[in-house]
Amino acid sequence: MAMNEGGAPGGTSYEDVPEDEVLSCGRELAQVWEQAETGEPDPHTAGCPHCAEALRALRSLEAVVARARDDEPQERPWDTAALAGRVMDVVRLELRPGRTLPLGEADEDAWIVEAAAARTFRAAVESLPGVRAGSCRIEADPQDTGRPASAPPVGWLPRGPARVRIEVQVGLSWNLQLVADEVRARIVAAADRELGMRVAAVDVVIADLLDDAGNAGNAGNAENAENAENADTEGRQG
Amino acid sequence: MPGDRGRAPEDTDASLPHEDALLVVRAAEGDDEAFEALVHRHAPVLLRLATRLLGSPTEAEDAVQEAFVSAWRKLPEFRGDARFGTWMHRIVTNRCLNVLRSRQPVAALDSVAEPQAPEHQVSPPRAAEGRAAVQDLSRAIEGLSPEQRVCWVLRELDGAPYESIAETVGISPEAVRGRVFRARRYLTEAMAGWR
Repeated sequence: MAMNEGGAPGGTSYEDVPEDEVLSCGRELAQVWEQAETGEPDPHTAGCPHCAEALRALRSLEAVVARARDDEPQERPWDTAALAGRVMDVVRLELRPGRTLPLGEADEDAWIVEAAAARTFRAAVESLPGVRAGSCRIEADPQDTGRPASAPPVGWLPRGPARVRIEVQVGLSWNLQLVADEVRARIVAAADRELGMRVAAVDVVIADLLDDAGNAGNAGNAENAENAENADTEGRQG
Repeated sequence: MPGDRGRAPEDTDASLPHEDALLVVRAAEGDDEAFEALVHRHAPVLLRLATRLLGSPTEAEDAVQEAFVSAWRKLPEFRGDARFGTWMHRIVTNRCLNVLRSRQPVAALDSVAEPQAPEHQVSPPRAAEGRAAVQDLSRAIEGLSPEQRVCWVLRELDGAPYESIAETVGISPEAVRGRVFRARRYLTEAMAGWR
C-alpha cells in the first residue's frame, strides 16, 4: 500500500510517479483525480475507459465519505458544561490578576487586583443599554504629584488616584459624546461606591458601533483597533 | 438616547466575531469569566473537529480541553489578527496531530488496514450496507499516517480549502494536495471491495 509522503499529485507531470499510479492510457492518476475535483473539462478523460475506472474508484470513496458525514449526529450530546468545568479548574489555578492597585486614601493600606477592578468597571458600563465593554486598563495618574517618595513593589501601582482607559462598543443610536460621558460617570460612580477607588480620569475609546441586532458596524474589528485612537480623542475628558 | 434594546446575554452565537473579539480582549486581560464564555461558545465545533480527527470522542474531549488551557496561557500574546475560532481550530488540529503521532505504533499494529470486502455476496439491505461501508471506512482511516489523516479529514469531512489546511498545518498547499492524494489513494484501495 502506498504510504510514502513524497509523492505529489497534480496536473503537471512529476518525476518518479509510481508505476501503478500511471493509468494504461498514460495519464497520471493524480492528474485525473485533480481534474475531477476542480471540474476542469478534459476531452480525453470523457472518452477514456481507464480514466473512467479511476474516477469510479474516487466517486465510490466519496459516496461512503458523504454517508459517513451524514451519519454524524448534528448535535452530539457533548457535555460542554463538564468540559468547561475542567478547563476552568486549570485556568483558575493560573489566573492573571494583573497589577495591584491602591484603594482609599494615600495613608490607607487597601488594594485590589486590576482584573477585579476591571470586571467591576465593565459591569457598570454594561448597565447602559446597548453598550458592551472590552479592554479596561487601569494606570496610575501621571499628573498626580502627591505620591509617597518610596517606590511601590513591582506590579503594584503607587498609592494615589488612578486613570482608567476603557474600550466600548455602542449602539448606533447613541450620541458618541453623550455615551462617553455616561460611561465616564458610571465608572467614577462604581469606583467610588463599589470599590472605594480614587479615579482621576477616564479615557473612553469607542472601539466599535453596533447596529440594532448587536452586529458590528461597517468598520470590521480588524480596523477598529486602528480607529480607536481617533475615537479616543472624542471621548477623553478635558 | 437609545431605545430599550438591552442585549440578552444568553443570546450568544459563535458566528458573531465581534462578540468573540470582545471576550478575547477581556480574557487576555485576565477575565476568566470571559474566557469561560469563549469555551462554551467554541467547544461544540472543536469537539466535532477533534472527534473527526481522532475517531474517539473521549480522546477528542481531552485534546480540546488541553487546547483551551494552552489558549488561556497564550492569550496575552494573541494579536487578534486571526479570529479566535480560527486560532482555536489550529491549536486543536495540531494537538490532535500530536496525539495521532504518539499513538501511531499501536494503530499500525492492530489496523494494518486489511481491505475489508463486503461479507455478503448476496446484496444486503441498502441501509445496512451503507453502515457497514462507513465502518470499514473508519477502520481504513486508522491506516493513514497522522499527517495524511489530518489533511484528509480537514479536506473531506470539514470541507476546508487546501490553502486554509496549509495554513493550519503549517505546510505548503502543494504538500497538502500530496497528502490528500496519498490518503485518497490508500482509502480507495482499502475500500476496493465496496465498488
